[in-house]
Amino acid sequence: MKAYLSVFRLRRRLETQYRGAVLGGVICQMFFGIILIAIYRALYAGKPQEYPFSQIASYVWLQQAFFRMLLASDPDLLDKIRTGGIAYDLCRPLSLYGFYYVRVLAQKMMGSLLRAVPMLVFAVLLPEGWGLSAPASAAGFCWALAGLLLGLLCVSAMENITMGFTMRTLDSRGMQGLMNLLMMILAGNVLPLTLFPDSWQKVITLLPYAQMLDAPIRLYTGQTLPAEAPRILLIQAAWILILTGAGMFFWNRNQKRIVIQGG
Amino acid sequence: MDTIKLYLHSMRMLIKSQLQYPASFFMQTLAQLVMEGGEMLAVILLVDRFERLNQWGPGDLYFFFGMMSVTFYLTECFGRGITGNFPYLIRTGQLDSYLLRPRGLLTQVLCSAVDPRRITCIAVGVAALILGSSLSAIQWTAVKVLLLIEAIACGCALVLGLFVIEAIFCIYSVKSVELVNAITYGGRSACQYPIDTYPRPLRVLFTVLAPFALTLHVPGSMILDKPLFGWPLWAAFVSPLSGFVAFGVIFLVFRRAMRHYRSTGS
Repeated sequence: MKAYLSVFRLRRRLETQYRGAVLGGVICQMFFGIILIAIYRALYAGKPQEYPFSQIASYVWLQQAFFRMLLASDPDLLDKIRTGGIAYDLCRPLSLYGFYYVRVLAQKMMGSLLRAVPMLVFAVLLPEGWGLSAPASAAGFCWALAGLLLGLLCVSAMENITMGFTMRTLDSRGMQGLMNLLMMILAGNVLPLTLFPDSWQKVITLLPYAQMLDAPIRLYTGQTLPAEAPRILLIQAAWILILTGAGMFFWNRNQKRIVIQGG
Repeated sequence: MDTIKLYLHSMRMLIKSQLQYPASFFMQTLAQLVMEGGEMLAVILLVDRFERLNQWGPGDLYFFFGMMSVTFYLTECFGRGITGNFPYLIRTGQLDSYLLRPRGLLTQVLCSAVDPRRITCIAVGVAALILGSSLSAIQWTAVKVLLLIEAIACGCALVLGLFVIEAIFCIYSVKSVELVNAITYGGRSACQYPIDTYPRPLRVLFTVLAPFALTLHVPGSMILDKPLFGWPLWAAFVSPLSGFVAFGVIFLVFRRAMRHYRSTGS
């Protein structure tokens, strides 16, 4: 356990090194957020929906702020497989799955926090109807924080499954791209899941992708009431167990047939 | 003429080399389809929920989306040298070898890469154009076809020019500047929807500085018979030329910037 903790700490520190590069990305992301909100505002003006627009604006900002949680991935593993460096990782007295799970967890957590803080400050300062509004209730906010933490565990487990696929081929760009796109759409980054047709939402919100950001954001905006929160968190926890279990099984199978490249 | 022959020849060679790994190529092309299909799906779902955006109906929105996709991904496909690894060439000093050859710099960079995977994105764009055209019941005439071709050609010049801005920044700062993405990819995302969607500052940005509105939306709205700003037909033919003007201005700046180019390679 101590070993995993120190891997986590090291990765976390590494992720905070390039703050200058982060700033450019954050400003870009803010711009995207404003564009999206402008589009949804114009659409809303034509045909108002049952819930207030401020919820959509908050949804967009929270998705933009934590987008790095969805997309951060560990490029080292693929390089190691291609060069044979994976042999060193196999020698470690740690489970290969656990080692990479902790690494990607640290990366996703730190990477998104580093971006989320300036972005959320910016979003709060925007005028009413454009920016991020306060959480619906104190209880909702606390549930949302818990949900976000579970979402982080869920997205890391999912990332490891994607990695499991890419371990099987040497050129993984296609597969990785497909998995990531599926995630961006079904996690609500391309279009808020709350704007999907209502009948679709019943199914989509049960998928693992909706557990990552959509579930905590709905708790924050109050679209999911605090009374329903335990049920949501239970769904999240169930998916974490399923994804982690499936990932471990998958990695163990991969590990048996792994080929050490290079010489 | 000679330059065009050279370009086509390099394109042939590059495409052949990319097809050497068919499985990977196929997967990546499929990924592109899912990506642009996802963007299209977002528009379809928004239309399903909201029905219209200001005066634009579903067909109009698909048509604008299609114009932007075709324009942007045609550029990304055939202009990959500029939209893709131009900053990389500067950062690594590989640009030096280009400077020694008896051809224009931009010609060579254009000849250095092509991205045939984008074909599926272009296909999605064409599908959106056809869908939009039939839903909005566009009465096609020779003039409208000409206008569409002009708009897309000028749009391509504009997108190419915007990507050159990144190269210009790179000459001075070596590091590629992610901030420019706001205007290239941000411009694409924003101008999938007609310009009157946006508040004034964004409208000015995408009309004057990065004139997507003039190259795509003005002729597009004319084809849809709902001219923006109430402009007459001749204006719809003149305004897309701003794409070439923008490219020209950026190209001149680039030429000046190249005088400051200092190699980073060894």
